[in-house]
Amino acid sequence: MTASLYALVLTPDFPPEFGGIQLLMYQLVSHFARVNPAVVTVKSSGAAAFDREQPFRIVRVPSPSRRGRIAALNAGALVEGLLRPPDVVLCGHIAASPAAWSLRQALRIPYVQYLHGREAVTRPRLTAGGLRSAAAVIVVSRYTERLARHYGAHDWKIHRIPPGVDLPEASEGEQHDGSPTVVSVARLDQRYKGMDVLIRAMPLVHAKVPQARLRVVGDGPRRGAYERLAEAVGASAYVSFLGPLSDQERNAVVADAAVFAMPSRLPADGGGEGFGIVYLEAAVRNVPSVAGAVAGARDAVVDGETGLLVDPTDHVAVADALAQLLTDPSQRRALGRAAAERAREHAWPIVAGRVEELLVKVAERR
Amino acid sequence: MGVCGICGTAQSDGEQVIKAMNATMRHRGPDDEGIYMDARANLGLGARRLSIIDLEGGHQPLANEDRSVWAVLNGEIYNFPALRGRLLAAGHSFATRSDTEVLVHLYEEYGIDLVHALEGMYVFAIWDAARGRLLVARDRFGEKPLFYSATGGNLVFASELTALLAVAPSGWEIDPAVVDAFFVYGYVPGSAAIVRGIRQLEPGHMLLWEVDSRRPDVRRYWAPPFFASDDGTPVRDLVEETRELLERSVRARLISDVPVGVFLSGGIDSTLVAVLAARSIAGPLKTYTVGYEVGSVDERASARKVAALIDADHHELVVTTGVVRDAVPAMLSRVDQPIADQAFAALEALAHFARRDVKVAVGGEGADELFAGYPRYRWLARGARLPAWLPRDVPARVAARVSHVPKLGRLARMSDLLSGEDTLQRHLEWVSDHRSTRRAELYGPRLRELTDSKVLVDDAGADVGQDVVGSLMRLDLLHWLPGDVLMKADRATMRASLELRTPYLSRELAEFAASVPSSVHVKHGGKMLLRRLAHDLVPARGYDIRKTAFRSPCAQWLRGPLLPKLREQVSESALYSDGWFDRGTVGRLVERHRSGQEDLTNTLWPVFALACWYDAHVARNDG
Repeated sequence: MTASLYALVLTPDFPPEFGGIQLLMYQLVSHFARVNPAVVTVKSSGAAAFDREQPFRIVRVPSPSRRGRIAALNAGALVEGLLRPPDVVLCGHIAASPAAWSLRQALRIPYVQYLHGREAVTRPRLTAGGLRSAAAVIVVSRYTERLARHYGAHDWKIHRIPPGVDLPEASEGEQHDGSPTVVSVARLDQRYKGMDVLIRAMPLVHAKVPQARLRVVGDGPRRGAYERLAEAVGASAYVSFLGPLSDQERNAVVADAAVFAMPSRLPADGGGEGFGIVYLEAAVRNVPSVAGAVAGARDAVVDGETGLLVDPTDHVAVADALAQLLTDPSQRRALGRAAAERAREHAWPIVAGRVEELLVKVAERR
Repeated sequence: MGVCGICGTAQSDGEQVIKAMNATMRHRGPDDEGIYMDARANLGLGARRLSIIDLEGGHQPLANEDRSVWAVLNGEIYNFPALRGRLLAAGHSFATRSDTEVLVHLYEEYGIDLVHALEGMYVFAIWDAARGRLLVARDRFGEKPLFYSATGGNLVFASELTALLAVAPSGWEIDPAVVDAFFVYGYVPGSAAIVRGIRQLEPGHMLLWEVDSRRPDVRRYWAPPFFASDDGTPVRDLVEETRELLERSVRARLISDVPVGVFLSGGIDSTLVAVLAARSIAGPLKTYTVGYEVGSVDERASARKVAALIDADHHELVVTTGVVRDAVPAMLSRVDQPIADQAFAALEALAHFARRDVKVAVGGEGADELFAGYPRYRWLARGARLPAWLPRDVPARVAARVSHVPKLGRLARMSDLLSGEDTLQRHLEWVSDHRSTRRAELYGPRLRELTDSKVLVDDAGADVGQDVVGSLMRLDLLHWLPGDVLMKADRATMRASLELRTPYLSRELAEFAASVPSSVHVKHGGKMLLRRLAHDLVPARGYDIRKTAFRSPCAQWLRGPLLPKLREQVSESALYSDGWFDRGTVGRLVERHRSGQEDLTNTLWPVFALACWYDAHVARNDG
């Protein structure tokens, strides 16, 4: 048994903000058993109350502006690391790699670098540098694994650890009543999530399944545009936007759906879905997914086993996949069961355990 | 598929009716003809075909496996290869490679909602014999035309108005309200037709007809989305997405079993299309442009530069004054419904010219409406933001003062745009060059009652809310684009049996454009996204950013090669003797224009075009 290890976790994305990386980082540190973590992140509104509830230390770096937050994070992380040197650094985002790299240079503290997907494309030089000096690289899918290789990470350094999921509590109640409801959960800001294609698909789904409806959970600056699109294609009557919901409400809406859909595509500049925790969140509630056959979603959804993967730029393909699942309850249930079973292997304690193991190994090699 | 004229009827003497209508549309489809009759239901479909895809197997009408669903198609379904693959996988069997056959199987899958699966320019009709139901649908932007008449439980429809006129049971009459609208707008707007009792199916609409009810049920299935508000997407990303969607659209529109060319005007829109097309085909791209002997409008230099940049096999047509004199009146006469777009004849001449090498051409239509290419959008937006302390009549007074000073024409137009309360009205005045104010002096007795009428556009988008620019762009998409731009494009090219394809009018691209706020579109002089894309794609600036579409020197034509015809009309046209326009007034305006005292092209051209059409169609009908 290793003595308790002190790990400094660097991430610009952390709750109470919403998002996949935020959730991943939070769940990891919450579930660490052998590692004693401290988190360095940036200030955000409502953070103080949130931080008080947490059993681990959180250092919030104030930033002068939105644009300056990454520089502030790196500066703050470096000061924190120098004042209280950790055994190992978990760098949760490539944006924080300059601080991780500096600590390695100054104090020979090794770091483990996370790669999620899109950031590699938007910050290619930083990515190449960050991956080169890392003691190990965690990728969340085969897609990000390829990106990591592309940016120069050696095979022996790369560890594929997909993100996890919270298992539903028994109190969450029984699911789906059999109505042909499709649900999607996404921040309505990124175009690559494929909400436009999903809305275009709905009239065709509706043609085959007259009771079919789509419920969209989430909010963002693109919501108005999507509402107008639904109107333009004559689908307003059966496409509804529920806005932002609490975790509990969202889980209930997902559990109540027949199919989860998010046909994320590869944007022109690369990037796209690194993995897609939302697919697992549906899966764990016996809800199969329809997803794009590109990027990280191919690891989150197994085609024909836990859902259907289709060309995410082809709304007819999306419609046919949805109609197929809505009209075939036995296939839908089989996929849902398999999805839940597979999702349970991704429970957060298991995922956090794998990350922890890697941190320990890296720290020992020092 | 390239079938270029379809028709149909639900009445007892169907077969003769179809034959007669097909005969009038020979130019739209010279390669083949087909008829289907369901004797029990008295239902007939007809088609004339110009073969472009599946040259051998594309005969129409076409049926499904058990011959219970029949279809005719005019136009192209660009995503038909993907749809065909999906239908094959779902167990449908195909007898041909044509996109028309995709329609019948798609109908079996989705019923009338099949329209939501289609990407393309089309009008099609599907007869479901088992249900006794006919579906006629028109594409989202109105690239392909459809006229219909439903009276007394009978239905007749066809791609061109003249086909319906050929089978009209007794004589037919012109609708004065539509003549009024035509004069003001220069095209026939909305669902109207110039002949009473005939209507046009509007873009994004379908018409259902059941043998039991025998009444047309017209429904909208798509409308251009309202423009979105700003979502903070970086411009870089928007340009990338524009590029991706436009590239995909161009590629889909190059699918053909016959050679394809590009109509290159040298402006941004057609330059982008040509650059992307050149990358997608093997060998040099064939490009075509048009120039003139007279006048200041000549785009050849700009087009030539672009052609050189992409190593195109470039062809230039020079429209000589001789050609203008001999051919232009004939072109304006032959068209099935009058059109006063001043570039119509040039486009038709270009189509005949290109047709010697290619059956299909690609053009830049639609870019101005989707990406805010017209300067009026910016000016109208400014008008809506005039400071409150400025008396409302100041711009109007400025306009009145400077309107006759030749060098201040631009100032006059701008002041004019900024004046008045009603933005929509000012927009209409701008696009129609104030022709509505000339009605009192020009109209003859048959139109006199209409000189003060509000000519209007029906419902659609007439509500100008907070987003002035977005609303006007959408209004142009709904009215100006199908009524003028696409009507011109269809008739001018069909006359030459050439198919024009328009990459900007892709449903995905249009929905994307609407998801970008109009305030972003009009930045940096308008058409911001296309401008930035051109900056990325065209190494040296070979294109002319000021110009939009093909133009013609009509002012000079009306003083030169067309003057004899114009004078002949004033003395002989039935348009005057039948009491539509005032012979004396028009005659005076013609001479005033000729002398160079005033440029009256925008007033005279619609009258000239209408007289050409009227004498060829109505005078004959009466006689």
